Amino acid sequence: MKTLKFQKNILIFSFLVIPVILLFMFVVYPAVELFYNSLTSWNGISDTKKFIGLENYRRMFFDSPDVWRSLRNNATYFIIHLLFIPLELAIAMVLDSKIRAKDFFKTVVFLPYVINGVAIAYAFSFFYSPYNGALNEILRALGMEWAIQNWLSNENIVNYSLVVISLWKFCGFHVILFLAALQSIPRDILEAAVIDGANPIQIYFRIIIPSIVIVIEFLLFHNMRGALQVFDIPFLVTQGGPGYASSTFTLYTIDTAFKYDSFGMASSMGVTLLVLILVLSWFQKKVFRLGRNST
Amino acid sequence: MIAENAVMPNKKLFKKKKTVYISQLAKYIILGIITVIVFLPILITLFASFKTPPKIAADFPLKAPNFLNFENYKVVFTKGKILTGFKNSALLVVISVVINAFLGSMTSYTLNRFKFKFSKVIMALFYVGMVIPVYVTEIARFPLIHSLGVYNTILAPIIIYAATDLMQIYIYTQFVEKISKSIDESAMIDGCTYFGIFFKIIFPLLLPATSTLTIIKAVDIMNDMYIPYLYMPSGKLRTMTTTLMDFSSARAGAWELLSAAIIIVMLPTVIIYLIFQKLIFAGIVAGAVKE
Repeated sequence: MKTLKFQKNILIFSFLVIPVILLFMFVVYPAVELFYNSLTSWNGISDTKKFIGLENYRRMFFDSPDVWRSLRNNATYFIIHLLFIPLELAIAMVLDSKIRAKDFFKTVVFLPYVINGVAIAYAFSFFYSPYNGALNEILRALGMEWAIQNWLSNENIVNYSLVVISLWKFCGFHVILFLAALQSIPRDILEAAVIDGANPIQIYFRIIIPSIVIVIEFLLFHNMRGALQVFDIPFLVTQGGPGYASSTFTLYTIDTAFKYDSFGMASSMGVTLLVLILVLSWFQKKVFRLGRNST
Repeated sequence: MIAENAVMPNKKLFKKKKTVYISQLAKYIILGIITVIVFLPILITLFASFKTPPKIAADFPLKAPNFLNFENYKVVFTKGKILTGFKNSALLVVISVVINAFLGSMTSYTLNRFKFKFSKVIMALFYVGMVIPVYVTEIARFPLIHSLGVYNTILAPIIIYAATDLMQIYIYTQFVEKISKSIDESAMIDGCTYFGIFFKIIFPLLLPATSTLTIIKAVDIMNDMYIPYLYMPSGKLRTMTTTLMDFSSARAGAWELLSAAIIIVMLPTVIIYLIFQKLIFAGIVAGAVKE
């Protein structure tokens, strides 16, 4: 029995030693470092880090209008994605109903999520381009010359142009999650409701919505996290420009670190992002719990 | 009264048939529009990749090209170093998938089956790691990778993929929970060692989880831009994705060549998706819907 226990301990140790070391070195330690660096004026290279207290945070909150502008762009991603959630649910319901070529449409809907993001970003750069770009050409062919724009260089439009790319990429992912939840609703419950004379609206609000509440909660969480962390689309398509018109909080942070070598400042922005995500997740969880208890 | 009642159901039935027909039609119209939206940017790029620059300027973007003009593809393959990119991406995928499958399944099994000091703490730390935003933590990880001397080597992304992919632990744990503990116990009675139980019984039973994670991981790594871009700036270490980035900045405005490069880089993950679709759906759903 003693040898058995010994053997068990060896297994626990040998199986966990590498993952736990990796976890501490590359996840826990950087997170702690991020906090510490945020209190310094470190440039990322020098051996000494000068401690400056909360100066970075003060500058970020009060002296950096571009940070706020970037954060507002993140909010645009969040809100527009939010508005698409009912539509995504509707599409999932169509895919869940009796239709032909269901598998084909399912494949198509999810395709954008799997395609290489860099390839997509460049394909859309071409699509929006003022030189032989397809979008303006199509508008011209449709006789809609008035709608022709500089999609990526007009300050007022550029961020929306990028949000469209994000919608193109992620909506299908949401639809598939909704579809999975819908398919997990037992058929006999739906049939019983129909026999009992429930109309489609009642079925929608009384059976379907409550069953997919977990997915909705996940999507809101995913949307919030995703919207706050938008990086590759503006990085690849516009570099945040013109000016900061399509910059996002993460893009601004990464630029601050790797372009302007202000690792201290960038760290304080990273910490802010982390706190923002934690607070909003907590808040969202509270709201959902409240909603669940009241019904 | 009786006569009227006899007619009514028929009328109703007719009306119902008509609305069913209309709603079916509406469904196909919606799905048709979605299909067009999904394929529009891909199709335009595909067409452009077979066109010459004057054709791109003159033709309507949706006008089909001469599909036998492989000139642009030739240039991408000969000058774009696409094959180096393929090789590096493939290498990265194979190594990372093997490492992650073993580390992930071993961690999940140990933390699920044995209760010991700190087991709860370790589990909690793995879950906390999932909340930390990905892009910004690189600000603190970057100097660490530098000081370890693995910057600009293929080890940098391998280490980061192994250490930071915590989703697999979550998915493996779901599967380990489903394997009955009585299997462990009866193997134990038959004289199997703890290591034997894992390698001969548990790991093979986790094959569905492993295959799902393999496919998802492969697609993720092939599509990843940020980690290779940040940690492997050397030309020899370009992955498919960073090769495309290079190609784009070197030939800004040459849409015909860039389009060909885009299509080439798109293809591997799309092919994997079309073959292993079921696994991808299963993994995405398992990874997403959690309490």
